[in-house]
Amino acid sequence: MTFKIVVCIKQVPDTSDIKWTEHNTIQRDGLDSIINPFDIGAIQLAKNVRFLLEKMNLDTEINVVTMGPSQASDILKNAVAMGCDKAFLLSDKKFSGADTLATAYTLSLFIKTQIPDFNLVICGQQAIDGDTAQTPSSLAQKLSIAQITNVIGLKEVNKVYSVWIKDSKTSTEEIKTGHPALIATTLKNTNILPNINGYIKACKTKITVLNSSDLNIDINKIGLVGSPTQVKKAYKFEILRNTTYIENESAENCSEYIIDEINKCRVNDD
Amino acid sequence: MTNSILVYIELNNNQPLNVTKEIISKLHNCNNNMQINGVVITDLQSYELSKNILLNIGLDNLYVINDSIFDSFQTCIYSDALVDFLKQNNPDIFLMGATEKGRELAPRTASALDIGLTADCTDITITADYDLLATRPTYGGKMMATIVSKTKPNFATIRPGAFKISNFPSRETNVVFITPDLSGEKILTNILKCENKIQKDDWTCAEIIVSGGLGLKTKENFELIYKLSELLNAKPAASRGAVEMGWAPESIQVGQTGSSVSPKLYLAFGISGAMQHIVGITNSDRIIAINTDKSAPIMNSADVAIVADAVSVLKQMISTYK
Ligand SMILES: Cc1cc2nc3c(=O)[nH]c(=O)nc-3n(C[C@H](O)[C@H](O)[C@H](O)COP(=O)(O)OP(=O)(O)OC[C@H]3O[C@@H](n4cnc5c(N)ncnc54)[C@H](O)[C@@H]3O)c2cc1C
Repeated sequence: MTFKIVVCIKQVPDTSDIKWTEHNTIQRDGLDSIINPFDIGAIQLAKNVRFLLEKMNLDTEINVVTMGPSQASDILKNAVAMGCDKAFLLSDKKFSGADTLATAYTLSLFIKTQIPDFNLVICGQQAIDGDTAQTPSSLAQKLSIAQITNVIGLKEVNKVYSVWIKDSKTSTEEIKTGHPALIATTLKNTNILPNINGYIKACKTKITVLNSSDLNIDINKIGLVGSPTQVKKAYKFEILRNTTYIENESAENCSEYIIDEINKCRVNDD
Repeated sequence: MTNSILVYIELNNNQPLNVTKEIISKLHNCNNNMQINGVVITDLQSYELSKNILLNIGLDNLYVINDSIFDSFQTCIYSDALVDFLKQNNPDIFLMGATEKGRELAPRTASALDIGLTADCTDITITADYDLLATRPTYGGKMMATIVSKTKPNFATIRPGAFKISNFPSRETNVVFITPDLSGEKILTNILKCENKIQKDDWTCAEIIVSGGLGLKTKENFELIYKLSELLNAKPAASRGAVEMGWAPESIQVGQTGSSVSPKLYLAFGISGAMQHIVGITNSDRIIAINTDKSAPIMNSADVAIVADAVSVLKQMISTYK
């Protein structure tokens, strides 16, 4: 039986290429879309799993999925070029405006309906465009499976279980989990350079596009409707202090002024 | 039924984390008549060692979900215990620190209850109807968003450093021990090996922070930030701009995707003051910005705005202290 891996990826703006407007805002138009760098880490781990299993003569299948508009198929092609085998695009107007809960629900139904015999789900821990690393844990719960986050490497894998290296602020752990399980990785910027065969495979691979009715989904739980959290108001954030300006002073004077402030702050201490 | 707020208490070395105390401090300052309760998931031994503190942080009720299995953190089991408890306790509002563990536990728990979760909040307000208004920077944008949730409990995680710890009112804390039903639990993961890292002292609590940004222009110039911090016995920090250039490690980044700090004095050398940076320094007592551009956003967020070349000022300060 084939060992099945699902890798979830997200399209994000390429912030390394960010241009700033004169008002100091990000120029969003014309930004390239790239695979979230943590998700490339996820693809790398999936390939590591394959590498070890192939040594045991076990077949693997890496399925890559993203939720988004039709343009998101570009990153799926890229993922195939990097070594994924099958690509799925979840695309439906009804999916849009989803918060993490609705996103996790949608992804979970995709996995349950399309790849019910999966062994591992691997995700990037978070997206670089400001998301808060909730989706993987939420997805693991929706699939009722174990989760290991902050993963930086694979130690061992066979059909039944795998051992992962988890690196957190307080410790480095080796954690063993039975399958199925979800792995979220903080590896990023692992640049997998697709080779020519990868590109050929990407051209030949057909992307399966699925909408809400294909997934047998409860439409009250998806998209904006299915998202319990809602933005009530958005505003520009400022702290306005009563600012004293110091201008046209020599570096010596500026330095002296700051040192004075430092001394005042230290005196207040006692 | 009394309306109540529940706070998840995260322990480390038998002490509640600062973020836990920060949340409780904030709630005491919110001035409403709701009960403030805490829930801790622990083994009894750790509880015994931490209870002196836990009983003196102004809680009305302290729920101690205890089992020997809780001596090490395992997301799935902790989450299951928490979910069972929340179903019975039914608080109006549930708050947790957005720590590494909180970031795993909160979404798994919210998902099991099918409730919304607002993550990484920098501010909260509680309405007269006991609803939570949770504020956080918007996804990647330059704005703050106030987020409400249609589901109860209103659930949010709070960024460490978002609030200051204040003195706790003295309250008689009623302790309730809870033995979770773990019979259905199949332990799915297994920690084979664990190496604890040497805990570096928490730089975000420093009294003086010397921070540098892209205005310093080169890595060599950024070294001056380290040098001055050392001479001042202060801590160095950086904007994301400087981190992305590789001048400073990510671990000392200040802001939305870095740390929040609350020093007595924050010195910002060559930092423009993007909103994502400013959200991390709002709790500083005093901010001094050194920037060649008088109109840079950081200037009117600062107490003192020095229009000058950051590198010259740094060099001058260093030679004074040497
Ligand atoms: C999702 C997301 C999350 C983010 N999170 C964070 C975060 O956590 N922390 C963070 O800091 N940023 C964050 N950012 C990035 C943020 O938007 C800014 O890009 C970043 O803070 C800019 O860094 P900077 O101020 O060092 O550089 P710049 O904005 O380039 O500012 C440099 C400043 O230096 C001044 N300057 C130039 N020459 C000199 C000189 N000789 N002497 C003195 N001053 C000089 C300039 O006038 C300018 O004001 C985030 C962005 C996104 C999209």
